[in-house]
This record gives sequence, C-alpha cells and structure tokens, in this order.
Amino acid sequence: MQIIQLQNIDFSYSGKAVLEDFNISFEKNSLTCLLGSSACGKTTILRIIAGFEAPQKGSVLIENKKVSAQGKIIIPPHKRNLAYIFQDLALWPHFSVYKNIAFGLQERKAKNIKEKVFEMLDFFNLSEHANKFPHQLSGGQKQLTAIARALVLRPRILLMDEPLNNLDVKLKHKMLEHIIRLKEKFELSILYVSHDHKEAFTLADNVIVLNKGKIEAEGTVADIKNAKNEFVQYFLEY
Amino acid sequence: MKNYLAISLIFALFLFSCSTENKEVVVYTSVDQVFSEPVLKDFEKETGIKVKAVYDTEETKSTGVLNRLIAEKNNPQCDVFWSGDPVRSVVLKNKGITQAYQSPAANDINKVYKDAQHHWTGFSARARVLIYNKSILPDSLVPKSIFDLSKKVYQNKFAIANPLFGTTTFNIAALFNVLGDEKAKQFLTDLKANGLVIATSNGDVKKRVVQGETACGLTDTDDAHEALAEGADIGIVFLDQEGIGSLIMPNTVCLIKNAPNSEKGKKLIDYLLSKQTEAKLAISCAQMPLHKGVQVPENVPSLDNIVPMHIDYDKTAQKLEEIQEYLKNWVEN
Amino acid sequence: MKNLFYIVFTLFGILVVLPLIHTLFGIFFSGDFFPNIQQFNPETFNLLFKSSLIAIATATIATFLGTVLAFLLYKTSLSSVNLLKALLLIPLFISPYILAVAWRDFFYLSFNNTALISSAAGTVLVLINIYSPLSVLIIGSALNNIDTQLEESGLLVTNFPKMVFKIILPLIKPAILSSFALIFIFSISEFSVPAFFGIKVFTTEIFTQFSAFYNHSLAILQSLLLILVCVLLLFTEGRYLAGASFLSMGSKGTKSKIYELGKKRNSVFAFSILYLIISVFIPFVVLFIQSFKYGTEKFIEAFNILLPTFSNSLMLAFWASVFTVLTGFVFAYYSVYKKHSILNKLSNWFLLIIFAIPSIIFGISLIKFYNRPELNFIYSSLAIVVIAYTGKFSFIAFKLIENSMQQIPKSLDEAAQITGIAYSRRIFKILIPLIMPALFAAFILSFIFNLGELAITIMLYPPGMEIMPIKVYTIMANAPQALTSSMTLIVFLISLLIISSFYLIYRKIERKYSPLFKMQ
Repeated sequence: MQIIQLQNIDFSYSGKAVLEDFNISFEKNSLTCLLGSSACGKTTILRIIAGFEAPQKGSVLIENKKVSAQGKIIIPPHKRNLAYIFQDLALWPHFSVYKNIAFGLQERKAKNIKEKVFEMLDFFNLSEHANKFPHQLSGGQKQLTAIARALVLRPRILLMDEPLNNLDVKLKHKMLEHIIRLKEKFELSILYVSHDHKEAFTLADNVIVLNKGKIEAEGTVADIKNAKNEFVQYFLEY
Repeated sequence: MKNYLAISLIFALFLFSCSTENKEVVVYTSVDQVFSEPVLKDFEKETGIKVKAVYDTEETKSTGVLNRLIAEKNNPQCDVFWSGDPVRSVVLKNKGITQAYQSPAANDINKVYKDAQHHWTGFSARARVLIYNKSILPDSLVPKSIFDLSKKVYQNKFAIANPLFGTTTFNIAALFNVLGDEKAKQFLTDLKANGLVIATSNGDVKKRVVQGETACGLTDTDDAHEALAEGADIGIVFLDQEGIGSLIMPNTVCLIKNAPNSEKGKKLIDYLLSKQTEAKLAISCAQMPLHKGVQVPENVPSLDNIVPMHIDYDKTAQKLEEIQEYLKNWVEN
Repeated sequence: MKNLFYIVFTLFGILVVLPLIHTLFGIFFSGDFFPNIQQFNPETFNLLFKSSLIAIATATIATFLGTVLAFLLYKTSLSSVNLLKALLLIPLFISPYILAVAWRDFFYLSFNNTALISSAAGTVLVLINIYSPLSVLIIGSALNNIDTQLEESGLLVTNFPKMVFKIILPLIKPAILSSFALIFIFSISEFSVPAFFGIKVFTTEIFTQFSAFYNHSLAILQSLLLILVCVLLLFTEGRYLAGASFLSMGSKGTKSKIYELGKKRNSVFAFSILYLIISVFIPFVVLFIQSFKYGTEKFIEAFNILLPTFSNSLMLAFWASVFTVLTGFVFAYYSVYKKHSILNKLSNWFLLIIFAIPSIIFGISLIKFYNRPELNFIYSSLAIVVIAYTGKFSFIAFKLIENSMQQIPKSLDEAAQITGIAYSRRIFKILIPLIMPALFAAFILSFIFNLGELAITIMLYPPGMEIMPIKVYTIMANAPQALTSSMTLIVFLISLLIISSFYLIYRKIERKYSPLFKMQ
C-alpha cells in the first residue's frame, strides 16, 4: 500500500525548475531512502510532502487524501500527521529539552503530557537532561532530542533530512540501529534523505536514486546494487 | 597597514582643527538670522573685518548662545553679544561676563535705553503689541488696554507666549514694576481664570491668531509685521496709549569681558549702534530707530507717536529674576 | 590592529568621557552640590514618573507597531515591500520639532482643534511616529536572521498564529527589548516635542533650569536622575537577557522564510498603506502644501539659503559617522569577544550615559573641558562637533553592531585562528564582511542623526561656520511658513540623496566582499 504519492509535480524555485512532471510514491511501513548528490531535489521533495512548499502543478496525496494541489496547501503541515527531522535539527533554543518535546502535545491539548514526554525521555535515555537547554547538550543528545520531539506526537510518517551528518561514525551506527528499531516500534513510514549510499544500504527497505530532479533507479537495496544505470554505478563508486 | 590606518584617522580628526586669524571679530546673537546676518555681512564688506557669528533663535528656545557665553566665561571666545532684548544682556552683566564700553555712536540715544555703567547699549526697538484676527474680533471689541483682557468678553480668546522665556518674561516683569507685585499677581491670576492660552513662543502666538485659533494675542512688532507681510488678515494695536503705555524692547549689544578681539568688537558695536543699522532694521523687520532722524518706511511706527511704558530696564531685569519662580508656578499650575 | 583598538578606547576615554566626569566632579566637589540636591522634591519625582510613563507608552506602542510592520515587511509576501520599507523610514529623517509642527497644523486644518494634539497623548503620538521606523529596522533585521528550520518545525506541530507567538516572538525577544529600550531612552530625553505642545515633562524642567534660571548645576543633577532611570532600564534588560540561551540565532546564509498572505493579502496591504498615510503622508503633505502654496519661489529661496551649509554639514556628518561606527565596532568587539573585563563593562555604561544625557548638558560639559587656551585648536574648530556627535551616537552603533556580532558563530573566527590567519586579517576578511549589513545600518543611522542634531551643535559650532540644522532653525524663527517647510523638505531630500548614494556604493562593496550576501 502506498502512503505518499506525488503526482505530476512541477516545482520551481525563484524561476529555476527543480522538479518537472515528477511522479513518486512511497510504501507504507517501509523505510525509503532518497539517495542523490546535493541539489538533486531530494530536500525539496521532503518539503513538499511536509507542506512547507506547494508544487505549482500536480498534487500530493497522503493516505489517499489530497494535501496540496495546483500551488495550494490544502492541509497545513501540522495536520498532516507527520514529523520532520531537519538537517540542523532545529531544536528551539529558548525551550528546555522537556519543553521542546512537550510543546507539540501542549499545542494539541493532549492529556497526560508529562507521562508521554517522560516515556520518550526514558526511551532515549534523556531523562536526566530534561531541564537542560539545547546548547547544553552533546551532539548525540541533541539528535535524540530531535527524534524524541518528532515521535512524541505519534506521527505515521517521519521525514528525515540527512540528520546524521554531523555525528561520528560510531554514534552514527548506533543511531542507524535506533532508527530501524523505531520504525518497528512506532509502525512508521520513514522517508530518509541522504547522499551517503552506505548509510542508505544499512537502513533502507527501498532506495530511490535521484539526479537533477529525475529518478534514475528505484527498488530494494539489491536492485540498486545491480542496476545497470550509468549514473547509479558512478554514484555508488564513491 | 594597521598603524597607518590609526594615524590617518587621528589625522582626519585634526584636519578639522584650523588656526584662527586675527582680522576677525566673533559675535554671538540671539537675533533671528534673517535679520542679523545681512547687517553683519555689510559690516564685513565695509570694514574688511571678518565676522564670525553664532546664531540662535528664540523660537525653539535653544538659548544655546546665552548658556554658551556663561559656560565660556573663563576663556571667552566671543567679542560681542547682540541680543534681541535687554534681558539677556542684564543677565550677562550680573554674571560678570560683560565689560563696560561707552560707544560714541550712541551719544544721542536716550539714556533710558542704556545701562548706567555702559555694559549694554540699546538700539532699534520692537514694541509689545496686541494682534487680533479681523474676521473674529469686530472693531468695536478690540481691546485698548492689557487690563481689558481679564474681562469676560475675551474668555478663552487670548494668547501669550510662555512667560518663562523671551520678551514675554520682560513684558510681565515690566508690569510688576509698574503695578507693584500684588496688583500684578492679581492680574495674572485673573488672566488665568479667564482661560488665556499659553503658546510656545511669540511666533506661535502669531500663528494661532493668523489661523484664527485664538482671537487675539500679545506679541512683538516684528512678528506682527511678518504676519502682515504674509498677507494675514490681522490688526495691530499699541495697548494702553491712554494709560501705562506700550513696552518698548530695544535690541542691546555688549562687549564681552576679556574678549579676544576687543578693539574690533568695539568697531562692530559702533557699527550696530549707527543710524545706518537702525535704518536697515527698520526696513527688514519694522524696528523703530532710537536715534533721531532715521529714514524709515511708512509701515514702521515712530517712537514719537507711541506712549512708551516708563520703566528702568536694569531694574526690570532684576525684577525678572525675582519673579521667575512665581511665573514658573503660574505657568505650570 | 590591536593598536587601533587601544587608540580608539583611549581617545574615546580622553576626548568624550573625561569631559563629562570633569563636569560631574566639578559639581560634586563644589559648593553647588548640597544646596541644589535639596531642591529635589516630590514634584521632581512626580515629573520623572510622568516622563517615564510617556516614554513607556511611546516605547511600548512603537515597538508593537514596529514588530507588526517588521513582520509584514520582512516575513510576508506583501507586494512592493522595498518601496514600503523605504517610505516607512521617512519620519526618521524629519526633525521631531518639525513633525510636531506638521501634526499640529494638520489637526488645526482638518479638525479646527489643536487641544487634542497639544496633550500628553499627542506627544506620545508624534514620538511614536518618529520612532516606530527605528523599531522596524531593529526587529526586521532580527526576523531576517531566524533560522527557517525553527519556524518550520513549529509549523509541524501547531498552527501559524501559535507558532508566531511561541517560536518567532521568543526568538526575537532580544531585538524587541532593544527596540523598547532605545525608544524609551530617545523618548524620555526628547525635549522639542513636549515643549512645543506645552507639556511639562522632566526634560522641559531641566531646560527651564537652564534657560530661565541659568542654574547649570541643578540642571545637571536633574539630568543625572534621568540617566539613572535609563541605566536601571538597561540593567534590567541585561539581567533579563543574561541567562538567555537564545542570543545566537540561525546561521547566516539561510534564506529567511517568507509567508504567503493568501486571502489576507489585500487587508494587510491596506493596513500598511494606512500606517504610511498616517505616519508619512499626512505630515509630508502638510509640509508640501505649505512649501508650494505660493509657487516655487520660496522653495528656491530656501535652497539658496541652505546651499552654503551642504558641504560643511555633509562632511561633518560623514566623518562623525565614520568615527561613530569605528567606536561602536571596537566597543562591540570587546563586549562580544572579551566579555569579562570590568573596564569594558564600565565603558559600555559610559556609552549609554552619554547617549541618554540631555544634549545641552553634554554640550556644556564639553565646553567646560575644552574651552581653555591649550585646547583651543579643538574647541575653535569643527573637531569639537565631531567629538560631540561621536560621543552621543556611538551607543546606537554599538548596540546594532553588538547584536549582529553575537549572531556570528564564534567558530567562524576560531576556524580562521586555527588555520593561522593573522588577527587583523581575521577581522577584515571574516568578521567585517559578515557584519557588513550592521555596519552599514549603523553608519546610515548615525549619519541621519548627526545631520539633524541641533541641541549639541548650537552649543558647540565654531563661530562663522554654516551648518544645516542650525540654519534651518535660526532662519525659521521669523521666516514665512513656506520657507520653513521648504527648508525641511530640502534637508529631507538631501539626506535621501546622500543615503541612496551610500547605499549604491555599499551594494558594490557588498558584491565584491562576499558572495554570501547574494543569497539573501
């Protein structure tokens, strides 16, 4: 079953076409890696899905519901039931760890907020840092806080934009394992943007290779490894 | 590179510093630049002495010039102070900032308009007059005496400038001297009760009357003259011609103590006190000459035809210092 | 480079701070202190309270308006934004006194009533008119610097209005507080507007002591109270922000997020236009009508009167602004990179004190210090005016530059340091290009303020020198309204012309300096 569908998308940014008549869809409960060099349009795809941008043409469907179409946002980001982990994590510097996580719940007037937040904090071993501010955390702790903040709202979809870029190799591996476990535990559909094919191959159920706004190849890890496509082979060399 | 930058910045600062020449005279004046500058330029042309002036204005009450003279007392930069009224000169005299100079050019000026110790000398005078808006006040209602203004007819219809500053202060101090303290205070209280408007300046009084915001107001002849020149529909009245008379306010000039160029300063004072200067000021701002026999345009009234208020200018200025505190309360409460 | 820093510090201390200390000590250690301090009474404090209320009202409303307008202009897809931004700044160029006159004339012409405007409320209105643009500038630049991702992650969990209140506003809190503090200080020390409307406030009281009673000592002691209020305010602000973790905002180079207005586009545009009509159009039209009522004759006359002042005034404003920005830069650098020195903190307070002290008192202090034969080369030249301007406005430059420096990650400098790049190269090649917009803004603001500064200039300008604001004010006393209004218009047009040319030069430098700005 497909959870997200982008149909016939045109998107340009300050007059420059990024995507043209672009189609893509993502499987439910799977971890799909969008792989490509920088400026290939992969972040744009995430932003369109999240609802930060509306494609000038075409429509976006989430769970078969139209969320944006023809230049209009139909359902705003916070009602799309998805979470986004940004490249720089975007932890709110004026909120504590606790507040960063609790904020979304509070805004939705959820019940048992404290319990839910601490469940997350415990899960990520962050409980003792609850009252710290983002600038007082280590890189890994920041990462975990960002993930906890994303998951506390129990989204169906998690969008991740190269979130592990700034971590050391050991921590990165730990995080990758963590993400796989999270997917199972929270029954998530994850869309993971990366330029690192090793990272992609460790994680992904499905991989999509992008180049200049076009899909070069898609399939399982094995499919991609065996792809005959020139760009893909070139890309995998490095 | 860094040091050059630093040095050149300091150098730029010093560039502004330039040495002063000696063929010059420094004058500070509270007389509006429009009127004072042409006279000073003429002096420059006729004598070849360069005039360096610091101008000020009553309008915004920056009173920068007077405070500057006081602050510079220990090392005067200024030679001559040309004031639009006698008050400021008396203040300077009392603070020991002026020195005596008896100008030969002022010999035939009435001694009423001169300091007994020759610290200041008066010339070209303005008078305090009442102006009224002709479209609001019919001729029959035009007041003849300042004391009419506490009458019911003029309730909320009369404006004066803030009496803490400028010529209005002097006007009120003169009333105190003529009437005695008690009567003068009673009169001021009555005026206040009659809803008089306190404007920011004489120019502001003029503007309010011209625009018809208030029916009439007290101001100086030069403001009244200016309003007429602009085509305003106003009338001018010399008050109390059958009583205490109109207040005459001469310009005054004084020589600063330890002036750096006192000889040239004296030359400038002589020039300012000449008939020639009085004639020019009569033309430019309708000021009345104090010398006899100065040619004046038709619209300038002559002192021969006006009953002046008989006051001692020095004493009035002393009185002014006495009543400042009272006036401050009167204005504010 | 380090030498230059020390030179600036030392020069500022000797040229600007010392005269003030000299005057204050003069009062404390003369017989003037006790008799005058006894004149402080409940009335003095009531008046101070009233002035504070007016300043608080002005600062609050102006900052509120400034925030709303900055948001509309910097964060939304409003049309003709650049034109609106430029128009909005106009009131800053017109001197407060002239604006007050224009407003009173407007009330008279349209309602036949001036009592409404000649009131404390009217004073607040005119002050808001003048200082809102300042708030737009300060808050707009902060909005520009928020990391887009912080806003977007907020949008994922809540709706737009709540995101604005919970994320954006807290993030720009330092800018909001700066705007409030600056406008408060400007308003509480403003003299000409309340004086014109006949409203008794603390500054008019100080002025009365000066100009009606010639009691310099009492006036100076009273102004110390005024300064105390400002110091307390900034101290509280500093305390409040000290523990804040959010001073360093987004990394530079990310494009600021712009929101689509959608259906609200027209009403928002209408609101901006309404604001412009009230704050710019009305006073401007009054000036315009007055100038050209009798044809262009008065306008040409005004031009001829002001012509000889242009070169002096522009030179003066230019050099004073250069020194102001230099001082602001050096003080900001020390405040951001070498936080813990007491001397440094002390000198920052002096910047504030000199900014907040009434101009006339600062002027008197400079006269008392510099007017001696051995310092005549400074006192009798324009150098004294340059010193005065630099002293007066360095605080604003300091605040703007400091804010901007705080947003530059220290790692950028450290990265260069590790590569072994020399101190001065790091400053010229890394720090300065990154804070260029703030340096430029500081320069322009100082230039505007220097060009229009009257109170200090009239105390200090060398005899015989022709200076623009002095000429405008001394001529306007008995000049026809048409001439006065024309002069105001000319001053405004000249400022605009000069500032636009600076802007063009700046654009050139900017392009050459760093490709970073092209992205913005």
